[in-house]
Amino acid sequence: MSFTVDVRRRALAANDAEAEQLRRRFAGERTLVTNLISSPGSGKTTLLEATARRLAGRATAAVIEGDVATELDAERLRAAGLPAYQILTGGACHLDARQIGKALTAAAFPRVDLLFIENVGNLICPTTYDLGEDFKVALLSVAEGSDKPFKYPAIFARAEVTVVTKVDLLPHVRFDLPAVERQVLSLNPSATLLRTSSATGEGIDAWCDLLLERAARKRA
Amino acid sequence: MRAHAPARLARAKVAVGELSAVEPDLLSFAWEAIVGEGPDQGAALEIDWRPGRQYCPTCRADKRQGEGSWMRICLDCGAPLQIEGGTELDVIEIELVPAGEENPG
Repeated sequence: MSFTVDVRRRALAANDAEAEQLRRRFAGERTLVTNLISSPGSGKTTLLEATARRLAGRATAAVIEGDVATELDAERLRAAGLPAYQILTGGACHLDARQIGKALTAAAFPRVDLLFIENVGNLICPTTYDLGEDFKVALLSVAEGSDKPFKYPAIFARAEVTVVTKVDLLPHVRFDLPAVERQVLSLNPSATLLRTSSATGEGIDAWCDLLLERAARKRA
Repeated sequence: MRAHAPARLARAKVAVGELSAVEPDLLSFAWEAIVGEGPDQGAALEIDWRPGRQYCPTCRADKRQGEGSWMRICLDCGAPLQIEGGTELDVIEIELVPAGEENPG
């Protein structure tokens, strides 16, 4: 006769357990951790380069980079003065918590105020995996089109902060910024919205102030 | 200790919430591919679809907004909705057939 085994376990329980361990570690180290998620080419690395320049001397930071291939992003961030470790996923479309734990061991960063995790460029899969971060940050560049929050709702619903990037291009593209911000707020009424241009520096102060304020709150 | 004896998987039941970002049809397709022609060939995947509850505290009413909707504001009054459930992606139970025994039914 067949018999039934009661399981009642989250399918992502293993990842969630690793993420909780990371979260405790980051709490102990008083490190603010952000998980940056966006489509490829929306400006995650460029925002981090601008952030490194603006935060130099005000806060310590390090970066874990996730990409399918190449060390290009980690090299760019090291050139910008940040310790950076590159995870190569070899084709996988997201990072999981175990990869972050292994990366931290391999990278052996000094204790930092801010740890940025730049996820694989993808608006879908990274959304599901908790990496022990304090909050997720969604980026959307104005060249991507005004319909993206409603087309990829999960990330905008789950990200505490949405950064609209490349706003210096607004005169050249059709992008209804207020409509996009309304979309994001309808998916996540408590979202913080920022507008940045890494090219001109617009909005970078507000972004850095938010990070510093949250990092200070975590240290307190 | 019985669960550790050699057994074949007959059925797995999973709960999938409408806000879990998991599509039941794709999950079923993946299940068929994994079970394939291996030792658990023919094992059934039972999906327990779990809608979320969208409640408007201002209107004091449920505001169902359509299957799989991620909308978090009330379309009548604009207030943030309270969302309960719908995020499940849980293995509920598995049914096993001890090695050498027929699958009932």
